[in-house]
Amino acid sequence: MIRLVARRIGWALVVIWFVVTATFLLATRLPSNPAKTMLGPHADAAAIKLVEDEYQLRENVLVQYGTWVKKVATGDLGKSYRSQSPIMQILGERIWPTIQLALAAIFLQLLIGLPLGILAAVRKRRWPDRATTVVTLLAQSAPQFLLGTLVLYVFAYRFGWFPISGYGDGGLDRLWHLVLPAFTLASVGIAYYARAVRSEMVDVLGEDYIRTARAKGLPERTVIGKHALRNALGPLVTLVGLDLGVLLGGAVVVESIFAWPGLGREVLQAVLDVDLPLITGTVLVAAIAIAVANLLVDLLLLWLDPRLRDR
Amino acid sequence: MKALAVLLALCACNTPDRRPKGNVAGATPKSGGTLHIATKDQISSLDPTLVYEEVSTYIMQPLFATLVTYAPASRDPGALPPLTVVPDLAERWEITADGLTYRFYLRDKLAYEDGGPIVAGDFKYSLERALSRADSPYRGFLVDIVGATEVTEATPDCAGIVAVSARELEIRLIHPSSSFLYILAMKFATPQRGSWAKPRLENGQLRREPLASGPFKLGAPWDEGTKIVLVKNEHYWAAASTYLAAIEMRENIPRDTQFLMFERGELDTAEKLSPPDYVWLKGDKDWERYVRQTAQMVVFGARMDTNQEPFTDPRVRRALNYALDKDHTVKLLNGAAVPSHGMLSPGMLGRDATLGAYPHDPEKARALLMQAGYGTRFGFAPLELTYVTQNDEQAETLAGAMQADLAEVGVTLKIELVSFATLSTMTGSSDRPKFSLTSWVGDYPDPTNFLDVRFHSRAIADETATNDTNYSNPEVDALLDAARGEIDTEKRAVMYRRAERIIFHDAPWIFDYHPLTTEVIQPYVGGYEIHPIWGRDYTHTFLDDGTTSTVPP
Repeated sequence: MIRLVARRIGWALVVIWFVVTATFLLATRLPSNPAKTMLGPHADAAAIKLVEDEYQLRENVLVQYGTWVKKVATGDLGKSYRSQSPIMQILGERIWPTIQLALAAIFLQLLIGLPLGILAAVRKRRWPDRATTVVTLLAQSAPQFLLGTLVLYVFAYRFGWFPISGYGDGGLDRLWHLVLPAFTLASVGIAYYARAVRSEMVDVLGEDYIRTARAKGLPERTVIGKHALRNALGPLVTLVGLDLGVLLGGAVVVESIFAWPGLGREVLQAVLDVDLPLITGTVLVAAIAIAVANLLVDLLLLWLDPRLRDR
Repeated sequence: MKALAVLLALCACNTPDRRPKGNVAGATPKSGGTLHIATKDQISSLDPTLVYEEVSTYIMQPLFATLVTYAPASRDPGALPPLTVVPDLAERWEITADGLTYRFYLRDKLAYEDGGPIVAGDFKYSLERALSRADSPYRGFLVDIVGATEVTEATPDCAGIVAVSARELEIRLIHPSSSFLYILAMKFATPQRGSWAKPRLENGQLRREPLASGPFKLGAPWDEGTKIVLVKNEHYWAAASTYLAAIEMRENIPRDTQFLMFERGELDTAEKLSPPDYVWLKGDKDWERYVRQTAQMVVFGARMDTNQEPFTDPRVRRALNYALDKDHTVKLLNGAAVPSHGMLSPGMLGRDATLGAYPHDPEKARALLMQAGYGTRFGFAPLELTYVTQNDEQAETLAGAMQADLAEVGVTLKIELVSFATLSTMTGSSDRPKFSLTSWVGDYPDPTNFLDVRFHSRAIADETATNDTNYSNPEVDALLDAARGEIDTEKRAVMYRRAERIIFHDAPWIFDYHPLTTEVIQPYVGGYEIHPIWGRDYTHTFLDDGTTSTVPP
């Protein structure tokens, strides 16, 4: 068991290293000179050389990579070309809004997706099932920029129930600001969860032990809630874990629409500015989030299903 | 289904009142209140020595005062207002007859936000910081000062900048400069107290902790990327003519969202309106008078490398200027632009208003191309070009229009889209594309900041060229040099007009348009016009929304 866990952790580290290295190498190949971006159009060659030397921009890519790895090993991710702020500081400030948004989205996905899925399975081929299919299909196919703009227009602008954008001042105000972005971000997940739960539940409800439970005269609520649902939740654990990993990497579109100061918006700005240290820093966070989430899912499944431990 | 129907019905019933709301501002300024504004971008830093982009200027202007500044904007849509230099922290100045020595006399009892005195040595410190920092974009502006080129990070003392006394500053130049006062009005020339800056430079916090010398100061720690709050600085010498108690600027708000927030009254102004919002406002008789539109010192066009075929032939360059329909460009920009015939914006010194843009004349364009050996008939060589432009919506639309215009005269245009950062690196490098989008945003309203930078042969270089067309004409060089050293404004204007004509005829760019900046304000916002230099300058703005009070006499 310990060897298995160690192997998984090892693989997670390899994945993180690979993703970040690939990003670093790709980003250094972009045709953009940060020294010129930083100094503006009036910079002379001497000034550009000074900045290029300071940031090692004239060095060979492998030398730049080597220096970068050495720095990362000491917890220094460098400074942003654009704002000159330490990357660690930027990531530190941006990660918390992203965590809040990700957790809120997961919460909504479970809160809405789970009951919808159960309802659709229990009322299979009747109108609740068909309505769920239509709604989930719409939610899955609507792009987030469209849905985000739509909910913003309807619920914030027309009705004024929610703030149009921003992060709020903490407490209830923050929660109030969180609703629309979290709902937009959760929309696809809600649909996935509903469909996954429905399909699992439909399978489980056809099993012999469910028939036995019903034959014993157990109330339908117990049959569904205790016997069927518990067995249908396995795949949902995987979905939630992977989603959490992806969401923690930042939600570019939703954060931009709602001016949510998270990692996603920072990634977008970094790419537009070709801000290499910031690009690699944000990718590093995303890669760690996904790798850790995968690892946790694996461990959780091992714990839930002892049969997997022998594989 | 029922829920959806109810929602749709609610939406239909709940049509918001889109007419202007609230009190209409009177002519008398009122004091107090918080102005709520937003920007779609993100402020990069509050360090005046290092920051060089538009959105940060919005905040630099209220935070930092300089020796001299520009008179407030006046309402003159379509052309630049006269940008007069007026005293700010300096109460007066003297320039010697040879134009080489400037002596500034500071006002009495000038103070920073903390009440500490502003002294002449603080100007010396900030100018030397701009000269000695490798990563300062402003080094190039100060090279006319005696000893400036010898300044390094290790030896920051500049012989030409002397703090004669606490209230007297002397700056000596190598040769006369008609634009030096403009340069001193730029925000990097604000006084900085060394004892404040040095410890913050060491811990990296100067970019977040400015020491204000202007009409406003930071009211709360900057919530970077989200919002910045400024409050009135009572220590500013002209605090009596600052009316707002605070300015709250939200960052990273997309322009469509800004307009929705504006309509709901959450914002007091909305900038850079999207075309549908702009057209709607201009067409609404109630809103029209609250739309502000001003010419900026900005020009857009297409640069052609005069060293590379087919642009070595001026007939080809002129032909493309005739081929492009600038009126169509203005239509595509919903009227928020003026066709250009050169780099200088309407109203600027040296601009020849009688010249007019190249007319849209496909016949003439075809004839010129045939004279140069290009065409689609009679065995002429067909002309195929690649145009590199920026991957944003507006640039793509305009490139598409250019493609159609050039097709009309038999030129096949291939469009290549790249990001802004990539485009500026490409055009600044030795293997630059021969045909690409170009633009210029002026730092100050003098032709030296436009024509000298983009069309003087001195600015041709392999790696750091600002003259990225390799355009070289000895007559233009001589005119620009003579005008630069001339002090008499009228004589300078004559020389620049002559240079403009020659450049127009040589056509190293397809001159396209000068954009107009638009902003809409709430009826209760008074004393506000867009400033051509600062963009948004709310220094003399006031709110007349019923919560503010009359300014005591």
